Amino acid sequence: MTPPAAHVAHPDQRQALAFRHVSKQFPRGDGGALEVLRDVSFDVPAGSVVSILGPSGSGKSTLLNMAAGLLAPDQGRVLVLGHETTGTVDWSRLGYMFQDDRLLPWRTAIDNVGLALETGSIGRREKRERSQAQLSLVGLGDFASAYPHQLSGGMRSRVALARSLVTEPDILLMDEPFSRLDAQTRTTMHTELLRIHRERGMSIVFVTHDVEEAVILADHIVMFSPRPGRVHTELAVELPHPRLGTPDALSLVAELRAAIAGMSADWVI
Amino acid sequence: MRAPAETTIRTPGRATLAARRSALLLLLIVAWWAASLALPPYVLPSPARVAQRLAQLAESGDLFTNLFTTLWRVLAGFAVAVVIGVPGGILLGSNRALGSFFEPVLPVMNTVSSAIWAIFAILWFGLSPLTPIFVVLMTALPLIITNVWQGTQAVNADYVELAHTLRFSRFKTLLKIYVPSILPYFFSGARLAFGFGWRVSLVAETLGASSGVGYRLRQASDLIQTDQVFAWTIAQIAMMVVIEIGLLAPLERHLFRWRRDVRT
Repeated sequence: MTPPAAHVAHPDQRQALAFRHVSKQFPRGDGGALEVLRDVSFDVPAGSVVSILGPSGSGKSTLLNMAAGLLAPDQGRVLVLGHETTGTVDWSRLGYMFQDDRLLPWRTAIDNVGLALETGSIGRREKRERSQAQLSLVGLGDFASAYPHQLSGGMRSRVALARSLVTEPDILLMDEPFSRLDAQTRTTMHTELLRIHRERGMSIVFVTHDVEEAVILADHIVMFSPRPGRVHTELAVELPHPRLGTPDALSLVAELRAAIAGMSADWVI
Repeated sequence: MRAPAETTIRTPGRATLAARRSALLLLLIVAWWAASLALPPYVLPSPARVAQRLAQLAESGDLFTNLFTTLWRVLAGFAVAVVIGVPGGILLGSNRALGSFFEPVLPVMNTVSSAIWAIFAILWFGLSPLTPIFVVLMTALPLIITNVWQGTQAVNADYVELAHTLRFSRFKTLLKIYVPSILPYFFSGARLAFGFGWRVSLVAETLGASSGVGYRLRQASDLIQTDQVFAWTIAQIAMMVVIEIGLLAPLERHLFRWRRDVRT
């Protein structure tokens, strides 16, 4: 008898990320367990922007932490560039951007970017050059020596983006990275992110609870239902960029909002 | 997390400040001089007489020898306190069980007067440089441990998570996240410890040493050389001011230039 194909270890490079029947529970204070994710399966094709859209408590961040190898699933498997996260994965090929900018206040902009390069044996000079290049890429080339408190929220967000890009990752994991910015700055950041994505071609997993943000950015939207998080709908968005304010995008937003309204009353939009 | 201190201090201009300080100093000297006219010199010698004595002490080399003897002892006790206190504070701050077990020790150590430490030191070490060093150590240690302990507990967990996503080793996380986070706490503790250390070292030297500023102070007072007592007092204050203005303040400005409140 031949083993099932799924068990054959051949790294599938066409999928940047793959979730296979992933379930996760967290122990609760009262001794019970909180079921966060139930049997979640979906793919992130290499080079695409996939938005994970869901209400708070649908396990979106948990999913991202699994992809980053910070958490292991209770059941199922998470594959990063074809390799299981419990095995050996080249983690330097992943970038992570948090909900807050999480800049170290005692480091200048350029040194905050350079932090991501301080794991290996990259020399000072190369680190500086690469960090400076990333700052220029996000439009902050002249602010290398500024400290975080001297920068606006949007600029700090750009520094955080540069930090997650400086290792030139193949996969960028983003956990509601722009949710704390004002609407205008957020729109600018969306444009910047899409531009960088066109230049670099990395895969992006973008977690959000904002329908409009998902529609503006994503090639694929994976919609989650509330706790326990399950894949509710998967859809491809085949609209041309820029999408903000276009009739097609607006009607898709309305359609998704209607779907959400039917699914969950406590999804705050 | 933001910097521990975030208040903006409105500082007057440099020139105005210097003028104000000089005026205050002048006022004090004039008051002293006026008072000295009405009192015998063994109670309150005149500023001129003290200045003369100070010059004499400086000329003979006596002044600097004893100032540096005391300074060296303070630094030695302080250095040992740092070597023990920093790892100790980090350990207590990062291990909850250990922290809560040892918690009562520090307030108890703080209540012991430096005179008591000096008496123990004389019993154990006799009239030797180890006596003031020990007293400085016992005074500085709880201050440094307490501050580093607090600093360790205040390390932002978000930054540690960031270090995890970057796959930093434990050592690298300690070096790049913990140390810079703790540094402001350590610095304020160290500053406090150094100031206290200097003061208690004089107490220790008056009781149990045969050199140093404290020893010379007692000698002068035993011989009722009030002008010498004043000279030594002024010399040691001047030394602390020089260290504060010339070393500690610029160092603090440099180390914490990333903070809002020290932005120029």
